[in-house]
Amino acid sequence: MLARANIRPGFWLVFWREFVRLRRRPFLLALSTIVPLTLMALLTFVFSSGLATRLPIAVLDLDSSDLSRSIIRMVDASQDTAVSVHVAELADGRRLILNGEVHGLLMLPKNLERDVFAGRRPEVVFFYNTQTLTTGNLTLRGVSGALPTAAAGIRLALRTAQGEPYEFAQADLTPIPVQIHALFNPTLNYIHFLLAALIPSVLQIIIVTSSAYSIGLDSETPYRLQTLRWLGGGLWPAMAGKIAPYTILFLAMLGLSDAVLFGYLELPLNGHRGVLVLAGLLFIVACQMLGVLIALILKPVGTAVSIATLLTAPAFGFMGIGFPRLGMNAFAYHWGALLPGTWYLMARIDQTIRGTPLDLSWKPILFLLAFVIAFAGLAAWRLEGKRAAREAAHDARFAPLPGGTTP
Amino acid sequence: MSETMNKIMDDVFAVFRNEFRRIFSLRPALAVLVVGVGIYAVFYPQPYLNETLRDAPIAVVDADGTWSSRELARRIDATPDVAVAMVLPDLASAEREVFARNISGILVIPVNFERDLLHGRQSPIALYADASYFLVYQRIAGGVAAVAKTIGAAVETARLIAVGIDPVLAEAAADPMPLTLVPLFNPQGGYATYILPAAFVLILQQTLLIGVGLLGTLPDKRIAPPAATVAGKLLAYLALEAVILPFYLIVLPYLYGVPRLGSIFAILTLGLPFVLAVGGLGLVVANIFRKPTTVQLVLAAVGIPFLFLAGFSWPSEAIPEAVRIPALLLPSTSAINALVRVGQLGAPLSDVRMQFLTLWALALVYGVGAMIMEARKERTSVKLEPTSAAAD
Repeated sequence: MLARANIRPGFWLVFWREFVRLRRRPFLLALSTIVPLTLMALLTFVFSSGLATRLPIAVLDLDSSDLSRSIIRMVDASQDTAVSVHVAELADGRRLILNGEVHGLLMLPKNLERDVFAGRRPEVVFFYNTQTLTTGNLTLRGVSGALPTAAAGIRLALRTAQGEPYEFAQADLTPIPVQIHALFNPTLNYIHFLLAALIPSVLQIIIVTSSAYSIGLDSETPYRLQTLRWLGGGLWPAMAGKIAPYTILFLAMLGLSDAVLFGYLELPLNGHRGVLVLAGLLFIVACQMLGVLIALILKPVGTAVSIATLLTAPAFGFMGIGFPRLGMNAFAYHWGALLPGTWYLMARIDQTIRGTPLDLSWKPILFLLAFVIAFAGLAAWRLEGKRAAREAAHDARFAPLPGGTTP
Repeated sequence: MSETMNKIMDDVFAVFRNEFRRIFSLRPALAVLVVGVGIYAVFYPQPYLNETLRDAPIAVVDADGTWSSRELARRIDATPDVAVAMVLPDLASAEREVFARNISGILVIPVNFERDLLHGRQSPIALYADASYFLVYQRIAGGVAAVAKTIGAAVETARLIAVGIDPVLAEAAADPMPLTLVPLFNPQGGYATYILPAAFVLILQQTLLIGVGLLGTLPDKRIAPPAATVAGKLLAYLALEAVILPFYLIVLPYLYGVPRLGSIFAILTLGLPFVLAVGGLGLVVANIFRKPTTVQLVLAAVGIPFLFLAGFSWPSEAIPEAVRIPALLLPSTSAINALVRVGQLGAPLSDVRMQFLTLWALALVYGVGAMIMEARKERTSVKLEPTSAAAD
């Protein structure tokens, strides 16, 4: 407020001016607050259960024996699957899969029990649907986890029937058991995995497009950029003062969603909070500078927003959460490396679920810093270029007039 | 009577021609509806084109150092899922490599692995797999467990035969009722095959929605009454999408090698109410937001939530009802479900009756909504321009 009273050019003058403008521009304010909050709340709600459990599958039991019934009980008792329908023939099961009522069909053949104990190795068949990959894999996990449990009892019985001592028989069942530890996300919770990555992705789109819009409006209005530079008393303080109010707003949005993620949904925070906040700040500024750069290169503002959307809206796939970057083709891999979000998500995973040691945490942070410097440098270079062009034009036009002043 | 019919037809046709011309003459609309659609067709599928993750790198910590432990590591390395990228002396150094993202898993083979195996005792191994990326975790866990199971079954059968059990029975005792897994669709579990059919429907919706929103907010002259205006515009969008929708749902899957079991007729039958519903929604959106940049900015980020609301990536059974029901107001929710089921699973139209009817209902609601908003806009502008009212 002091700066305003003195009207001394500098960072604070531009900063306060922008803040006041934000209040007069409800759309821009809504775009940087209500829109991201709504979308983040929506996504949080979609994933609020964290785990998809008891996915419905159908059973075709052609045996109706004690064994087949106990298999069905075990599949139903598994966390992933629930037996929702009994069908009388394969065609019925197939129809239920096609219309989406069930995600798989377990077929227990005729004479299952008899053949098992006669050592004829009858086949149990599970038909499933990997067109929907997550659901398909979950039902698969449920059935292929439950069946060996049912089989283990039989195997033990088959052995002791052969006269093998019980304790030997049990050690024999799995000669090489694999103890699988799911590092960093032991319950395979989708909130920790997917939701925690989707929220920054949505924020990335909003920050880049709204920054392109806000700067685009300035660069479209005659003399606005010059005025800003004059008020800021130089290019850098003007640029910083112009974007800082939004940086604070977006940081608050990120903080709010993180408060929900860590506080309410209990996402682990195993790393260094300071590094996490630093990464968030660099991510936001990098996205803002990318938006600024787009707005300074492309005109009119509509085109700038279009291109900003085109770059960021499909970015999630390139950031390697769903399908890992390790498996991508060269183009997708390198394109992903050019997105601030890719590095921010790495830093986030490091500092939340992983608890990466500090000395191994800096790579994504340094990349984010490099983005900030590169985008800001390019934006400054573009602004200087524009100014030089303007001055050249001005000089040419007003050359004969002595000491002409700009309005 | 027929004269009014003719007048209406003429109006609708005039609007149709005008709107169709605007699609190609207004740069922002053309950029989204044609150029953007073309760019997305090439750009969006790039991350997924390799379909599956191969050779996820792991480290082996072999404390046993015997022929058996090396053989186990070699056989794991030979699977398409996993590659042994390094052999490290201890768990701590391997953990650092995981943190540095050089490897995604650690296999620990403890001391006495071979001795226990030869003595007929259990020989457990431990696998630490990075679950901060689920697909990586699945690959590594699945690959290692499969190898351990195969080797284990061979060991077990050999042991039983050694104590004099009939080889046929011995094999049965190792695996008395083998589970045969039959993936009905997308048999290799490919990521592109899974995500692209759904994503293409969403891209169609988002580009059309933003495009119509832009057309509805950019300057336009009024040439017909509200009902004819909306009908004519929807026809223009339908004419455009008659080319784009088959390109996205038939040609692109073919080019990217995504299997299609459904008939072209069934896909187009579903496409009709989908395009009308999205077009109608676009006109409603235009009437609400009023300015082209507002439309662009508000709709830029909604694509990701819309995809997950469709209950495709994340099972709809796990989505709370409080969002699942309102999500039906989005054409994409029903369209993704129905089009993927018809297109990729080969379901008959009767299996997607609910989605089909929902899309028609949305087309009707948004179409009528757009007409009402159009009529209201006309009234307010008439009030603002008394001269044109007098001229009437």
